[in-house]
Amino acid sequence: MSWAVPSAPGVQPAYYSQPINTAYTPVSIRPGFGQAYQSHQQYPYSAPANPPQPANTMSPPSDQQQQQKFDWPQSVRNYVQRTFQASNEIPGVAREEKEARLKEIIRSEQEKGTMFATNWDEMPLPQQLIQKERQQALMASVDPAATRGQAPSFAVTKKRKSSDFSESEQTNGSTVPWRSTKALSLEDRVSKPPNDKRQLMDGPLTGKSKFQKHVEKRQRRGDGGYQSSYRSPSPPPHSGPIVGMNAVLEKQYFRLTAAPKPEEVRPEQVLQQTLDLLKRKWRKENNYNYICDQFKSLRQDLTVQHIRNEFTVSVYEIHARIALEKGDLGEYNQCQTQLRALYRAGIKGNPIEFKAYRILYFIHTANRTALNDAIADLTTAEKEERPVKHALNVRSALALGNYHRFFQLYLDVPNMGAYLMDMFIKRERLAALANMCKAFKPELKLRYVTEELAFESDAEAAQFIIDYDQELLQERNDHIVFLTGKAGQTFENARAQAFSRVDLKGQI
Amino acid sequence: MDGLIHQFRAAYAATNGEQLAETLNPDVETHSAKLQAIWGRGDPRSMTSDLNFLFYQDQGRVRIRLSKEETNGWYAIYTAYWKAIGEILAVEGLRSDAKSSWARVYDAWKEVTLLTIRGYTNHDFENWTIPCLYVTGKYLRLYAMRADAERTLSNEDTAIDDLQDDFDPQAEEHKSLEDCARHLNRIFQTCASDRAPLEESRKWGVYYAVNLLFKTYFKLHSESLSKNILRVISAGRSDIPPIDKFPKSQQVTFKYYEGVLAFLEENYVEAERHLEMAWLMCHRTSQRNLELILTYLIPCRLLTTHTLPSAQLLEPFPRLQKLFTPLARAIKKADLRAFDIALRDGEDEFIKRRVYLTLERGRDIVLRNLLRKVFIAGGFEEAKEGAATVRRTRIPITEFTAAVQMSGGEAIDTDEVECLMANMIYKNLMKGYIAHERGFVVLSKSGAFPGTGV
Repeated sequence: MSWAVPSAPGVQPAYYSQPINTAYTPVSIRPGFGQAYQSHQQYPYSAPANPPQPANTMSPPSDQQQQQKFDWPQSVRNYVQRTFQASNEIPGVAREEKEARLKEIIRSEQEKGTMFATNWDEMPLPQQLIQKERQQALMASVDPAATRGQAPSFAVTKKRKSSDFSESEQTNGSTVPWRSTKALSLEDRVSKPPNDKRQLMDGPLTGKSKFQKHVEKRQRRGDGGYQSSYRSPSPPPHSGPIVGMNAVLEKQYFRLTAAPKPEEVRPEQVLQQTLDLLKRKWRKENNYNYICDQFKSLRQDLTVQHIRNEFTVSVYEIHARIALEKGDLGEYNQCQTQLRALYRAGIKGNPIEFKAYRILYFIHTANRTALNDAIADLTTAEKEERPVKHALNVRSALALGNYHRFFQLYLDVPNMGAYLMDMFIKRERLAALANMCKAFKPELKLRYVTEELAFESDAEAAQFIIDYDQELLQERNDHIVFLTGKAGQTFENARAQAFSRVDLKGQI
Repeated sequence: MDGLIHQFRAAYAATNGEQLAETLNPDVETHSAKLQAIWGRGDPRSMTSDLNFLFYQDQGRVRIRLSKEETNGWYAIYTAYWKAIGEILAVEGLRSDAKSSWARVYDAWKEVTLLTIRGYTNHDFENWTIPCLYVTGKYLRLYAMRADAERTLSNEDTAIDDLQDDFDPQAEEHKSLEDCARHLNRIFQTCASDRAPLEESRKWGVYYAVNLLFKTYFKLHSESLSKNILRVISAGRSDIPPIDKFPKSQQVTFKYYEGVLAFLEENYVEAERHLEMAWLMCHRTSQRNLELILTYLIPCRLLTTHTLPSAQLLEPFPRLQKLFTPLARAIKKADLRAFDIALRDGEDEFIKRRVYLTLERGRDIVLRNLLRKVFIAGGFEEAKEGAATVRRTRIPITEFTAAVQMSGGEAIDTDEVECLMANMIYKNLMKGYIAHERGFVVLSKSGAFPGTGV
């Protein structure tokens, strides 16, 4: 295993050795977009429906469908009749909409195999469902809290989807005649973002916006009984950071485009369990794409709740280590930037370890100004700590062209610094070879090169040289020599090229 | 207000930019009484009516060419100026009726700055009035820094952008100054993009603005942005008047920053050129500026021509003396240990000035001097009959190892010494080659240590 557990003194994150947290609650499987969409549609009528049927009433769907083509239960026939009764007509709901919805309901019951078990007499009529949905969709677009409590586990996907849905619904049902969908999003998002936020967050409380009046008017128009069952919107007044309410451990990362909703954000206790889960999963599955995504959503939840404490530090530290191991410099850098600020704010963690990484990283990017700043960041005591001292020695060895000391330091790196040093080891080998070729004449034993440049074997050293020029090695009686005198500009050119393209991905 | 506008008219009549800019000076320390007189009783209505009278009715009394457009521009500027004065007096504790903060001063002064810029873009201000832009920009920067300092002190939980995935630690620290940089950049653009013929062009304000921007960017640690400005200037060099036509103070500042930017990019030859120009032009009483220039010029010289500062040069600058003298002495004596100690003692200050990484390379010179001593101590080969004497050029590596060990004060193995010597050869500080298998260094018969006479 290449994972090095940091040996810095003080609090150890020890993310591998930590006992597994037993407070962990099972995780529900994430549904795809399509499923989430459907569940939203079904919600209003599946709620009053009877409890789920025991498995034995279920027969294979093909069987059942065939059967039911000829045998509709009387209760269903009555339901259909009631749907089209003139007295049950709701203005604004077209016949086509009703029919479509009716078909959908019956098909859904049929597929679920609950055709016979459902109490059709108490099932709300399609037009009622349509009306209710419209109202809810409208509310949802005004007040995020209105949709709270609906299957929070799919929070993100569902919210995205449901808000898209509500907008198109508004235009279709002409509930917002004064704006097209496009105008709505464009105006709100682009020209006056603060207003948009206010409407989303506090709209129902102020009760003054045009939008809100409209909603109220519609509510008054609706029938009384229906309204009482409607959950009145009461978002908490927003002063300061939001407090999360989501209890699901895993969450896919999305870049925020609107103010976060409490029901989609996990509070700190949940996030701590999430971190434990992620640590376990990382060890078991080693799936970086998944882990990175989860860590990003974890970081996002911390940020929106303004949580900045030792837990925050450990999240960033662990993500930085994992990113480092996988060579994801972009994420690694983001974490490092945060860690620098967090340590500066006096929050405990492993500053020694990460300050050492910082120095090694800036050696890699050959960023002298940043390197200078990184050194300026160190206290006298920190300079004496082993990881920092090591990194500083690496730096000065390179600055003075002392490849001998540099490669010795490479063989003994504290923590995970070797991942960083690996990024520039090839380049420094080329530099050292260029150096040697100019200074040592006429030849050197290959073994000397192997040892000086910390190759693992003569074979590795030989391969490294052959990759640039096959003529430079020669067999003698009992050893191989490296013909430094014949190398000319080979390594000098390779060196220049290697230094000219330092990958600055995610560079701060 | 009356006095202010009279001053304004006088400056306008004389088309004297400096004098005009003086009317916008908000410096409380030197102009306390004047500012309080302008603020008066702090009554906006009487201020407006004063300005109305002075600008629109009373104009006939004094003959100055002031178009309607210009009048409107200046009217707005002085209104904003008056408001800013109110905030400044309040924050300085010179108003009993109100308190203020530097953040509010900054906002009020920003208004003055924006209106002044607008004067040029919308109200046909002429180019001789450019010093006004400089004054507003200069104080905008000062107030921005005070506002930032004030925020750091109060440490209040300022609004965090909730849409970000992570906190933005840098944005908070220099929020006002970053905002300020944007406005200063506008001033620069306003000057640089003027297409009027040169004698009427605002291009004469370019270096004013650039120097302000440099100061700001350095404070923000955004040297890359300074490079952008340099690029813009060199791209438009044919249009922009040559730098030596500008006041010396601006030339010195500009050359200094240009030199430091080159220095930070390790372009020491160019850095030396710019810094030397700044050094020669700098006024000899500007002690601080001279010291700043030398801080970078000395390390430059050390690397480019291996020149050490003389005691005479450093004498007027005790701080530099303390920093550089031990280093210079160690280099001269070829004393590795003394050099390491001197570098470590000055480390904090060197790092702060960003010369540490450059000075560190001075160790090569120490080492070169040391190896040269070994070479000279080696004496001469036994001269053949009739031929000139030659130095001994085949030197056992052990001799060098002994020297490095003595000078450095700690044990070192032969491999490392060979590595150090390989470096000397690689960097052309020493001529010759190492015969590793035989344990010899073979130095060049002529000029083994280039530039040192042997």
